[in-house]
Amino acid sequence: MNAHEGRGAAQPSGNRSPLLRACLYGAGVFTWRPCCCSCACPGMRLGELRMPEGGVGPTGSRTAEAGLQWLLVLLGELCPAAGMAGRGKLIAVIGDEDTVTGFLLGGIGELNKNRHPNFLVVEKDTTINEIEDTFRQFLNRDDIGIILINQYIAEMVRHALDAHQHSIPAVLEIPSKEHPYDAAKDSILRRARGMFTAEDLR
Amino acid sequence: MEDLVCPLAVLPTAGGDREGGGSRSDCVSMAALDLRAELDSLLLQLLGDLEELEGKRAVLNARVEEGWLSLAKARYAMGTKSVGPLQYASHMEPQVCLQASEAQEGLQKFEVVRSGVHAPEEVGPREAALRRRKGPTKTPEPQSSEAPRDPLNWFGILVPHSLRQAQASFRDGLHLAADIASLQNRIDWGRSQLRGLQEKLKQLEPGAA
Repeated sequence: MNAHEGRGAAQPSGNRSPLLRACLYGAGVFTWRPCCCSCACPGMRLGELRMPEGGVGPTGSRTAEAGLQWLLVLLGELCPAAGMAGRGKLIAVIGDEDTVTGFLLGGIGELNKNRHPNFLVVEKDTTINEIEDTFRQFLNRDDIGIILINQYIAEMVRHALDAHQHSIPAVLEIPSKEHPYDAAKDSILRRARGMFTAEDLR
Repeated sequence: MEDLVCPLAVLPTAGGDREGGGSRSDCVSMAALDLRAELDSLLLQLLGDLEELEGKRAVLNARVEEGWLSLAKARYAMGTKSVGPLQYASHMEPQVCLQASEAQEGLQKFEVVRSGVHAPEEVGPREAALRRRKGPTKTPEPQSSEAPRDPLNWFGILVPHSLRQAQASFRDGLHLAADIASLQNRIDWGRSQLRGLQEKLKQLEPGAA
């Protein structure tokens, strides 16, 4: 495939190798997308470049930026081959207003009409049953990798936390403004503390 | 016990069964020594992981506290009700996601990565055509594959610097949270390995237990 064929959403000319193909055209990177059987130009994939009239390839700093970003996407697509998930898992948070607002600012929030949110703001009138139900929902979801929970809220649902023995999702207890972190109450550290008996150390 | 018998013990020897029995107990003690060495290294690794976990927790707690302080400053600048759940968007897409990889059997490792790429802002007209000054212009619907919107935009266009600082603190906190989750998994995995080795050692040396 020459450089000109890679522009736009070009159809493959015949050789449909399932292997990932990447080539450098100027500062742009093209990749094979087996899902749609087409090659994509960085501009088309990222939606920010428009081909100027005359068929001359994109030039300039935008191409360099697009190429670098495309290389990052390409590396991301190579990650599944290394055993990492394609889309990635979410981070859920159950906490007070400031904790949830802060982590949502960090960019973990997901909310749309089709899916349940991955966060819960615990207020004064939030019941323990609601917290426990939300916690169990997060545990049962396949797309959540870590659950962040304020420690004082974790104390309310300690039985549910202690019953969770799987590695995913991982549960992290974090402090809140009114309640500093206490390592003695952390489920993970309590299990680690009970690792050894006097007999084991003989 | 039988599956731990040293293969040398089954080889015919000039001394007959008595020497074979001695070799068998030597093999058992050798196996016990190996197990103890493995236990020791696993224990040292566990203690190192616990120490690292404690350090990372302290840093995470510090970052989260910095984030709260910055949020409080932003609230002071923008108004009490200007930074809170009322400003959350009705549609959110995660900017960061978690990549989980399995290093060994049962051992998960987490890494926070940015999901999607940010499309550079395009300045200027999209098409090289005359703009219509009359009549409704139909703006194209945004594609679903657009980059997720920065949550800072929920709070306005010009947000105070303290809100950006809060975002940076909580983003650092997310990376630390992934490291801590990986460490916790490693500690749990090490704990189960330790128990398994202790059980094997008890089988080899019931008298010592």
